[in-house]
Amino acid sequence: MKIRHIVAVLSWCIAAASDATEFQALDRAAAARIVTPSSHAVPTIVALWSAECVHCKKNLKLFAEMVKADRRFRLVTVAVEPQFAGLAEPLDLLAVPGQRFAYGAESPEALGYALDPKWRGELPRTIFFDGKGGKTALSGVVTEATVRSSLGLQTNP
Amino acid sequence: MVSGATPRSAIRRAMMAVLGAFVIANASAADAQPAQHMHGTAGAKPARPELGTSAAFAPDGVLYAVTKDGQHVLLHRSADDGRNWEAPVVVNAEPEQISADGENRPKLAFDADGAALVSWTRPLAKRFTGEIRFARADDRRHFTAPVTVHRDRREITHRFESLAVTGAGKVVLAWIDKRDLELAQAANRDYRGAAIYAAISDDGGRSFRAEQKIADHSCECCRIAITGDTDGLPLLMWRHVFEPNERDHAVVKLGADGAPGKVARATVDRWRIDACPHHGPSLAVAPDGTRHAVWFNEKDGEGRVFYGRLKDGRVDGQRALGGERAAHADIATAGRHVAIVWKEFDGERTLLRAEMSVDGGATFSARALTATGGVSDQPRVIRRGDALFAFWRTENEGMRGYWLE
Repeated sequence: MKIRHIVAVLSWCIAAASDATEFQALDRAAAARIVTPSSHAVPTIVALWSAECVHCKKNLKLFAEMVKADRRFRLVTVAVEPQFAGLAEPLDLLAVPGQRFAYGAESPEALGYALDPKWRGELPRTIFFDGKGGKTALSGVVTEATVRSSLGLQTNP
Repeated sequence: MVSGATPRSAIRRAMMAVLGAFVIANASAADAQPAQHMHGTAGAKPARPELGTSAAFAPDGVLYAVTKDGQHVLLHRSADDGRNWEAPVVVNAEPEQISADGENRPKLAFDADGAALVSWTRPLAKRFTGEIRFARADDRRHFTAPVTVHRDRREITHRFESLAVTGAGKVVLAWIDKRDLELAQAANRDYRGAAIYAAISDDGGRSFRAEQKIADHSCECCRIAITGDTDGLPLLMWRHVFEPNERDHAVVKLGADGAPGKVARATVDRWRIDACPHHGPSLAVAPDGTRHAVWFNEKDGEGRVFYGRLKDGRVDGQRALGGERAAHADIATAGRHVAIVWKEFDGERTLLRAEMSVDGGATFSARALTATGGVSDQPRVIRRGDALFAFWRTENEGMRGYWLE
């Protein structure tokens, strides 16, 4: 692929991604793809959160800061509840980048199971992909060191 | 990421890597089709109804339930144990915000004289804030204007209320309250979790005593269990945050004036985590004083729903209920009968399951009650006289009941 072609496709992708601040409804098929390691060619954080979760913003703040400072990895957020007016506020206040999902019409049990069969609903829940086929899921507030090691990024950028 | 080779190939490689990331990002977005983009608009309703529902039998044996419909709490009546429901009665004539999802739901209890007592959490504008609301209807049709139960009126957390009428005729409302956390934060002090506060009514909910702090350091968003002890005084059980961050459970008995006794540790699973489990316990006391409890915890690395009998700071007969995905269990007793219900996702459907004991919890038999393919509320087990009844609201099937015989 020639550079000008890459530039053209990249431009399209950037345009397509420019509305990343809008939520997309998550169904089981999308959930399954998001948590398949081969979907992630680069280290990726999939952060499960909800508006009710008082501990989630600590993780979201950390992830947002890390992603902005280190372009080697990506962040995807999944609100484990249906979209409603104001759901984006916690993400917007923390300027959380990346693709945003919120639960669609299927039952929360079915969507949660598709995302992570071992997950029992506690939040925050984070699934880390190292971009090489590795996957780790952790519940609770995590540290930067944990994030880096879970992503296979041992050093600062 | 970019190393070696010529500058041009290095640039190409870098761009391909970025392109790869974008393609993945957008492919997964496209894969979510027919995932429509969802724009948040003021006043927009959630994508699905909030199913949080409570049910109770009135002293005359008729089944009632309270639900949320928009900005109203509704009281429903069924003369045939849940097979058919009459047109509901509006509890709050003036519309207001109401919490009725997950661990939140309107609550329903009956006074000894048959009056309907209804409570709910009204979320306020600021995130995580709310007020505990209460209304009463002598005739179960015409409700008093709702009152805010607590004297503290700051726009802070007063949420996740639970309501009970205990044997001694006291109306008890208990909730999660962050006034102590707010004070600590203002003074730049650490404070684990939130607090439990409670207000008692001696006159069937016509008035409430000033609220009292029951305990510091509760978990922030798990439902609270209230039941009556054998002497009629209220017993409360909730998810606590023991030092440093063990999200186990605590239990306390309130005096006739609502003042708490000694807070005791109820479970010892030692789930150390800074997270919101959104999974509160349930507690029932048998006539012989046995405290039967169900709760969710992670133990030995596995999150399970447990049953056990709480006794003097230890748990007798603790065991996991159902399979790996058993969730949101509820428990009740009637004489020597003990009934537990929970829901459990099997990979395709959500099952309503039960265990019943006729010998005071010494032995149990399991039973599958029903299943749904859609969204469902947490199940409840309620009592009419000597009989126990499972109640479950699902989006597809509505409000249904099952006698646990």
